[in-house]
Amino acid sequence: MIKILKVAYKNLLRKKTRSGLTIIGIGLAAWVLVSLLGFNKGYESSLNRDIDNLGFQMIVTAKGCPYEAATLMLKGGTGLRYMPGSITEQIAKEPEVEAVTSMLMQAVFDPNKGESGGYSAYLGVDPATFPQMKSFLEFKQGAWFTDPDAMEAVLGYEAAELEQREVGDLLLIADKEVAVKVVGILKRTGTQDDGTIFLPLRSVQKIFGAKDELTGVGIKVKKEADMPQFEEKMYKLPDVQVVSLSQVKQTIMTLVSTAKVMVFSIALIAILISVVGVINTILMSVMERFQEIGILKSMGATAWDVFTLIWVETLILCISGGMIGATLALATAKLTEVLVRQLLPYAPSGGLVQIDLSLIALTLGVVILIGLLSGVYPSWKAGRVRPLDAIRSQVE
Amino acid sequence: MLEIMIMKRLHFIFLVAGFFLIPVEQLFGAVGCDLNDPDRDVARLFPGSTGFKTEYVAIDQKGGPELLAQIEDRLGDTFKGLFETINVPYTLYEVFKGREKIGYIHGVNEKGQYGGIQVFLVLDLEGVIKSFYFQKLTSRYGKQLRDQKFGEQFVGLTLKDFYNYDVNSGKAIGPSGVENIKNPVPEAEPDFRAALRGTKKNLILVDEFILGNKYLAYHQSRGERNP
Repeated sequence: MIKILKVAYKNLLRKKTRSGLTIIGIGLAAWVLVSLLGFNKGYESSLNRDIDNLGFQMIVTAKGCPYEAATLMLKGGTGLRYMPGSITEQIAKEPEVEAVTSMLMQAVFDPNKGESGGYSAYLGVDPATFPQMKSFLEFKQGAWFTDPDAMEAVLGYEAAELEQREVGDLLLIADKEVAVKVVGILKRTGTQDDGTIFLPLRSVQKIFGAKDELTGVGIKVKKEADMPQFEEKMYKLPDVQVVSLSQVKQTIMTLVSTAKVMVFSIALIAILISVVGVINTILMSVMERFQEIGILKSMGATAWDVFTLIWVETLILCISGGMIGATLALATAKLTEVLVRQLLPYAPSGGLVQIDLSLIALTLGVVILIGLLSGVYPSWKAGRVRPLDAIRSQVE
Repeated sequence: MLEIMIMKRLHFIFLVAGFFLIPVEQLFGAVGCDLNDPDRDVARLFPGSTGFKTEYVAIDQKGGPELLAQIEDRLGDTFKGLFETINVPYTLYEVFKGREKIGYIHGVNEKGQYGGIQVFLVLDLEGVIKSFYFQKLTSRYGKQLRDQKFGEQFVGLTLKDFYNYDVNSGKAIGPSGVENIKNPVPEAEPDFRAALRGTKKNLILVDEFILGNKYLAYHQSRGERNP
């Protein structure tokens, strides 16, 4: 086998330019393949992470109840409707549900806001589930509540800025004359969370006398769940309304599927081009060495020997090209990411091109398979050369 | 046609998705202190005015760290915490009667005992306080501090009156017009002092940004005062 390897290697060296160009061709195909697979992997995981970052993709509120502080303010702090605390358990039992979190929003009139007073809103959240569900929230200062019954507050960045609060400060809930301790300031998110004052759910229930009452339940739906269908199911609950980000989630999932189809289509084309290129190169080489193969056979080489020799040549070309392509893909991963980000109208956060060892191993496997397959025909053709025909063609 | 519709739809969805998903920290700076309803508030705070012009100024744009150091020296205190920073955009309202400029309105955020305090000053062209207004005051004693009588104590004062007021100790360190300002509720001392610090800071910023440091000549830095 070592002898065959040596002979095959020497044969390839005899036509350096052609062998080199073939290796470059295979290398480019492998580069495209690794980059595309890396992009597919990175894009999918980034989008999945973004779906997780949405926190809950659905909110169930009592019919007519505002589901965010801004709406509550627009309604002049009125219009709050309540659902019993048991609804959370009821929703959590649904198979489509990954996680749920209970919320209670309350508002108080603050006569010392503006010329004629204004409203301040507070969101009671379950310390056991809310932080996990909104794990993307980062703290500028401090952390979440120390206890489910603590008289503590976590402020969105803009709420903290308006109230000029920092960790350790007291915050007065006007009207109720209750002061809570600020234990955390969130970093900006660009969402409504920036203007929210979070308190432990049970504390809000206690301060506002709303024991076992909720204004909303946040639901994180499983990735594979049919959102519209689940939405319909939620609407069957008595006296609730459903606010859903189903369109955003559907779009993200469609993007993932589209990217997969696109990536695999391009990868398939790259593979086909490289297969044709390899077959062409080896076939040309076989044709050129027609007499040589004939002499080899006349000296006692069997059809299998010739077949193996040509096959090994193909494999050497493919493995060399594959390794060069994988190295190139690794080296240019960052550049590819920058280019992809420039081209995509919406690029998720995080690494867009993720190339790891398993991906490189997979690509090398594919390239070797290409080599094995594309080498079959030229090797078979070479193996079938008859010494007499070869000598005759030389005479002609 | 269908493609255009699909593209438009996708574009909208990308925008919506982007709103929820794209990290936007870099899009925001610090938040200043604006009047809640400028049209209504300017007319109310400056009777006789017919219009106003809004200007946004930040210390980092106007003079950077050197200007901040000068402001802190004049204030007798450093800018503190997460929100009192060099890049806060201050909103200055230049008030007009017809084409004639008649004064300024300017507000600052100040840290109170139980929440944020927004101290607005209505000033004439010489920097004399015409009116004092707490736009926002989270305090147990908000009613007393927002009382008209409390605000009236500031009328007629200028930055010169505040130079001898030490914002750290809450005491006058020389003859000062601030001595005449009385705290209506002893328990509200932290918010009372925050109001005075906010007023002094407000007057210094107006002097730096608009009045061309008219009152700088009256300022003695700590070193000069205690050589």
